[in-house]
Amino acid sequence: MKQQIAIVMLILLSASVTAAPVRYELRVDGLACPYCAYGIEKKIKALKGVDKDSLDIQLNDGLVVFVADTKPAYSKEKLKTLVNDAGFTLRGISTFDDPKTLQK
Amino acid sequence: MHPRKLQLCGSLLLATGIAALISPAYAHDPVFGIGPHVLFKDGVELKLGAHVEKSDRRETEYEFEFKYGITGDWVAGASVGYDRSTGKGPSDSGRAATTLSTKYRFWRNDQFAAQESAALFGKVILDDADTPRNRVNEPDGNDYILGLAYGYEGRKWYRWASVRHRFNADTRANTERPDVWLVDIVGGIRFFPTGYYEPDWVWMLELNGEIVDSANPLINGNRLRLGGDSWFLSPGLMWTYRNIAIKTGVQLPVYDTLAGDQEPDDYRAVLELEWHL
Repeated sequence: MKQQIAIVMLILLSASVTAAPVRYELRVDGLACPYCAYGIEKKIKALKGVDKDSLDIQLNDGLVVFVADTKPAYSKEKLKTLVNDAGFTLRGISTFDDPKTLQK
Repeated sequence: MHPRKLQLCGSLLLATGIAALISPAYAHDPVFGIGPHVLFKDGVELKLGAHVEKSDRRETEYEFEFKYGITGDWVAGASVGYDRSTGKGPSDSGRAATTLSTKYRFWRNDQFAAQESAALFGKVILDDADTPRNRVNEPDGNDYILGLAYGYEGRKWYRWASVRHRFNADTRANTERPDVWLVDIVGGIRFFPTGYYEPDWVWMLELNGEIVDSANPLINGNRLRLGGDSWFLSPGLMWTYRNIAIKTGVQLPVYDTLAGDQEPDDYRAVLELEWHL
């Protein structure tokens, strides 16, 4: 019985871990003007599971940051296509499982 | 024909060709010239514009333009407008020519906080304007513009260069409307590198050249001399806040070699409001 409870607890725990929000940091080349960057804002906000308030476009650092709660996480290929459709080039991507431990 | 009337005929003949030239800009492009800017995929741009051209007449055109981003590098659009002309001679007003345009960005070099690109531009000015002036000098077919644009955008500095050629149809009376070359060299600066959620200002200075092929059409038995170069210096400003832009500029003549008795422009002015959706 104890073993069964432990297994159920583990399953619940792992489920909550995989569903945790992921913080995405996209290094985007070509970001020069805010008016042109609106395409990125629109496309990222249209993604499923994105916390719209988390989106931050840091023009001076060439960074686009957002948090999304999806399973599985968005692939690099999908984000590369998204950025290209917005008129820019994705140079790199970093993801973090626990956004609260990172500085925005 | 009285020389004044002949001069008026000449300027009207050319004015029908120039009105649609001063609103080709897309997004973060120069005000009077063109740049390589397009629109994001599935994006929509709505634009309201007012263009004034003052010479011996004052021509005002109000325009509504719709554009759609087919891909991240290819945009197409259409515009409709209303044209009003006052001054020497009878005033007239009516529907301006409908235009269809497209731009394809064939080269893009994205760098950290900068974008350098080049694009091909095409525009058709349909033969559907309906003003008394247009009925007198009615083109017998559509006019076409083909262009090539280069641009560099950084967080601080901007530069653009473009060349366009306008193929003008002759009038129904077989009066020649000469073709026009347009050359633009533009510099821009953003004095303060504002953040994404802040209002943004870019100041521009354009050098715009219009090189009109020479022509000597016969109007009412009188031979008219058309053609020559006009060069303009054009300070401009683009204010944006996220997906809203206001663009304005004034085009001031600095040099011309106009043939015959053609009246040079005093100035041209543009005010445009753009909205990206």
